Amino acid sequence: MVAALGLLASGACATRLGRLTRDVVRPLDRSGDAAAAGYLSELLDRAHRTRLSERVEWRRLGHWRDTLTGIESQADGQNFFLSPHGATSPGAELDATLRGFFATLADGETDADVQHPICQFPARYRWLDRMLGFDPARLHRPACPRYDEFYQRVDADRLSFVFSSYYLNNPASVFGHTFVRIIKHSNTRDEERRELLDYAIEFSATVDTSNALIYGVKGLLGLFPGTFRNIPYHVKVRQYNDTESRDLYEYELDFTREEIDTFLEHLWELGSTYFDYYYVSENCSYHLLGALEAARPSLDLLSHMHWPVIPADTIKALYANPGLVREVRFRPSLRRQFLARLRGLDGDQRALVERLGYDPTVPLPVGMPSQRAIAVLDAAQDLVDIQHAKELTFETDTAPARMKQRLLERRAEIAVPSEPLSVATPWSSMPQLGHDSRRVGLGMSADDTGALGVALDARLALHDLADPAPGYPEYSQLEFLPTRARVRLDEDVTGRRRFELDSISLVRIVSLSAQNRFDRKLSWKVDAGMIRVADAGCSGYCYLGQLAMGTGLTLATSDARVMTFATLDVHLAAGPALDGIAGSPIRAGLGPAGGLRLRLAPRLISLTTGELIWLPTQAPRATWLARSILRLGLATNIALDLEGQLDNRAATAGLMTMLYF
Amino acid sequence: MRHLVSALFVSLLVAGASAGVATAQPAGAGYGAAGCGLGSIVFGAKPGFVQVFAATTNGTFGSQTFGITFGTSNCASTGGGAVAAKSFIETNREAFAKDVSRGSGETIDNLATLSGCADSKAVGHALQKNFRQIFPSAKASNTEVSSATLESLKADKQLACSLLI
Repeated sequence: MVAALGLLASGACATRLGRLTRDVVRPLDRSGDAAAAGYLSELLDRAHRTRLSERVEWRRLGHWRDTLTGIESQADGQNFFLSPHGATSPGAELDATLRGFFATLADGETDADVQHPICQFPARYRWLDRMLGFDPARLHRPACPRYDEFYQRVDADRLSFVFSSYYLNNPASVFGHTFVRIIKHSNTRDEERRELLDYAIEFSATVDTSNALIYGVKGLLGLFPGTFRNIPYHVKVRQYNDTESRDLYEYELDFTREEIDTFLEHLWELGSTYFDYYYVSENCSYHLLGALEAARPSLDLLSHMHWPVIPADTIKALYANPGLVREVRFRPSLRRQFLARLRGLDGDQRALVERLGYDPTVPLPVGMPSQRAIAVLDAAQDLVDIQHAKELTFETDTAPARMKQRLLERRAEIAVPSEPLSVATPWSSMPQLGHDSRRVGLGMSADDTGALGVALDARLALHDLADPAPGYPEYSQLEFLPTRARVRLDEDVTGRRRFELDSISLVRIVSLSAQNRFDRKLSWKVDAGMIRVADAGCSGYCYLGQLAMGTGLTLATSDARVMTFATLDVHLAAGPALDGIAGSPIRAGLGPAGGLRLRLAPRLISLTTGELIWLPTQAPRATWLARSILRLGLATNIALDLEGQLDNRAATAGLMTMLYF
Repeated sequence: MRHLVSALFVSLLVAGASAGVATAQPAGAGYGAAGCGLGSIVFGAKPGFVQVFAATTNGTFGSQTFGITFGTSNCASTGGGAVAAKSFIETNREAFAKDVSRGSGETIDNLATLSGCADSKAVGHALQKNFRQIFPSAKASNTEVSSATLESLKADKQLACSLLI
């Protein structure tokens, strides 16, 4: 395993090393240009005397962080440094930067990798110029046409930080994503905003494998290079809003003109390097914050990040800097647009939309007013897009494409434009309103023998169905390392108070999807971890590794206050002390499970679940369990949790205080 | 330790989710009839499991990735003119098709700006009228759709789409 990883590491990133600027530029010829050489010495001297390289502004421009072994830059590409020691020495890099500003590029040096240092590091130039007051007569500033073109094309007026909501249908993007949108100046002619023509800046990994397992491992170990990219905003809108039906929340930043310019200049600098991309720490969200910090050094963003870095945490970090978010705007997913369209339709018209969704030739009632016909056809188009998003994106002339074509033709025949759709913003789902991502709990528990215990709870991330609802999707549970344990206060025969680990999961996901006439998606859940078992399968108790999976149906009211679900589950478990199938240490079971969730108030949730697992040919023949939770959020990050559990051998109840942090 | 735990965690997810998907197709150029189609931009080509997985974890596959410099890709321009208008139509094809049939919508407003047209309402009306020429059938490729759209905009002099000339 370790050897294999080493092999991967040696192969990663090697191909990205182009020519380094420091190897290509010609340093200042000291004897040839004594005046410039004198000025450079003077600047170096002043930089040293004022200890510029220790300033926070410089540290942020170089992404240097204090580590256990000393100062180190998080940037991993060598061309980000003009000094060979730049990655670990801000001082050496500052000196090399000043020297670089005086260097020259050979004539005809137009290689895409190589720019004059002043052009490659415009944000460094801006800051050093402010600190040292460069004399343009003695330090010549070359033209930087490539940067100028970039600057003109993005045409930045404002910046906003965009959060793309949770997407549970893909395990890898359940946490959501973030990127920066560069808002262009409004169109001078009509003053209208053309948002789709803006650019989006994202930090993403360059993936070089199509093997799923290697992909997962490399992603977690930081073996893919992550780079900043500039992408038309409409690409992101289509991908997230339409293909994946995810809402976008846009947090406009209160940046000054100079800060926006510094941000763009610093992005340009970052364009010549890469950062090792770690999915759970230095990910899409992390380095974007680093770039914002470089543009406004008084910001304190990365210090709010802890492991694992959840994209929603970055939004909370923005809010931890008062005044930074100027305005929040919302761009609804296609699904939300569709629901808004339905709101304007009566029962018969909704039925018609449903039928058009699989038979686009269904005639509209004779004499239907054209405005109604438009509303029905417009909704049916969205329905087909939602139900067949992937096929429509990748192929033409498929059955869904023909269906959509027919609906569009019928709509176009009514030569009246559709009115703009207004969609209510779901303010209560904004990620910054959510509880923090980690959780610990402490309380008391008692079982039916009267034995008391101290109840313990811990979880690395993120949210379960009973946690306070604001800021999170109502139908989703995603937990990483949820742990339950207790310390029994009664003494056992040896006189000790026992610590009992009840359960710990690597990952636990519940993805519910309410059934309605427009959406027949199945609900599913998976839980992989370890549980403590005390039944006929082992003497006393034993720990089993367990994988449980289930799929089924969910019914819910449209506001999701009442939700009930039923699944058919498969359980596989194994443990050395287990007496399982035919005497083997393996247990396999199958059975129904279900639950009822009531959102009594936004922060008061009742969740009751139950399961029955039939264990054919094994002892015991079956196990069952019922659990009820009532959880009250006292504040954003504090909850009171009352739980009761009944299973085939015991009843327990507990009261706990939970802290999110 | 952290890395080990998380490696276990995602390996498990990946192994579980990829059952039956041994290897994904390597990302091809994805150009041609797809033009600047969303699929080819986001996934490189028709996606295998890993491409989809990568794209949704902010990984980038395939050839049509943009750098801070925008590279030379025609698909990255939003500055105005025929090339930008074409790539915009191709990337937004599914949403654009609906907007054309509806005679209005955000993609039409943005296209009108890219094309330098005088009035986006008039553009919406004209495109709706020409729906059958622009989208003759479900077989129409992205590049055919974008060409037909520009032809239709250029042919209608009253729209005065100044950046398409």
